[in-house]
Amino acid sequence: MSHSAPDRPTFEAIEAYVLDRMGSEERAAFERRLAGDPALQAEVALEREHMLAVELGGLQRSLKAIGDAELRRGGGSAWGGPLRYAAGIALLLGVALWWMMRPPAHERLFAAHFTPDPGLPVAMSAADDHAFHDAMVAYKLGEHDEAIAKWSAQLKEEPSNDTLRFYIGCAELNAGRSTKAVTWLMPIAELPGSAFAVKARWYAFLALVRQGDLTAARALPFPEDHPYAGRVKAVLNDLR
Amino acid sequence: MRTPAHTHPAADDRLGGLLRNDPASLRALYTAHFGPVRRFVLANSGTGDDARDVFQEAITVLWLRAREGTLASGTDPGAFLFSIARNKWLDTVRSAAHRHMNVVHDQRSHPAAVEPDDGVEERLARLRAIYEQLDDKCRTVLDRFYFERKDLAAIAQELGVEEESIRTIKYRCMMKLRAQRGAIGGDDHDRP
Repeated sequence: MSHSAPDRPTFEAIEAYVLDRMGSEERAAFERRLAGDPALQAEVALEREHMLAVELGGLQRSLKAIGDAELRRGGGSAWGGPLRYAAGIALLLGVALWWMMRPPAHERLFAAHFTPDPGLPVAMSAADDHAFHDAMVAYKLGEHDEAIAKWSAQLKEEPSNDTLRFYIGCAELNAGRSTKAVTWLMPIAELPGSAFAVKARWYAFLALVRQGDLTAARALPFPEDHPYAGRVKAVLNDLR
Repeated sequence: MRTPAHTHPAADDRLGGLLRNDPASLRALYTAHFGPVRRFVLANSGTGDDARDVFQEAITVLWLRAREGTLASGTDPGAFLFSIARNKWLDTVRSAAHRHMNVVHDQRSHPAAVEPDDGVEERLARLRAIYEQLDDKCRTVLDRFYFERKDLAAIAQELGVEEESIRTIKYRCMMKLRAQRGAIGGDDHDRP
């Protein structure tokens, strides 16, 4: 039998079979194929076990959540009353502390206006760009340091690639490193003809707001016809 | 040929929700049957946390048996869970760390042996070891698809990415898992 990984159509056929998402004719055809193919039988058994393992992981996560709630609800009745009072006092103290230690206005404004760039679609057909898309997968799942490391490696081969530079800047911003984000995004914002110039200017502005460099943020030009001009104006008004 | 994992007939209608990983059914099963286990464990020198641990382990065994189709017809989930949890706690009590404890026998009737020793613990350990190989980002996607049974569009919306990206991530994660198992030689199914 072959030990190579199944391609995506084969994997998805196995998945549909295991998850019972095949129509009767499709299932019958798959089972005929399965009957004469020991390698496929082995692959079905393997993927079935992997899916079961994932389900078990999910079950344990759910049980833990339910168990924690159940213990809070019914556990330790002798301590239930005093603990409830203590929790109330802790809540009040927490609210007071939060009020005293809440982020400054510019950080709150950043949080109110910032939506991370969703990234580019990851397509299986883009085999030539596997490394780029692999990093994009990490980016989309919030693994920003991993994405930056992978894109930075590619940037050594293509130092002028504005897509790589823009998304490294976005990843830095998403990871909370505003100063680094600005150094990546500002050159793209000024890059004539870049498809990312508009968004880079907006994110550079937000990065400056977040780091509290309001002078630089106000100085960043946004012409009236810039797609983000209205939102920039709203942020600056709130900062007054 | 083996029956697909998701199509085993439920041994009992009450277990249907558990087979579907339905959160409400799981919660109902938990709240309905945890009490007796908790009382038994507390009466035998255990804590609430101990009770929770053995009970959750019992539910996991019940789930796997239901999924494998190895539950006897008409199995009472409550009796099954109590029996498994009780035996697990008694094993703990009899272990070296707890050998000086006195066991208080419960009055609840339960079958003497609802749990044959057919390697279910080993199978659970094996499945847990497989899951441990997944990184967080793969768990995020795979859990939602295979455990929560959400479709790709719903997952894509929740994570703020395109449906095609989720499809790709899912495939890559499953292939990564396959490759890791092959690399450590834990893949029985690939042996000729």
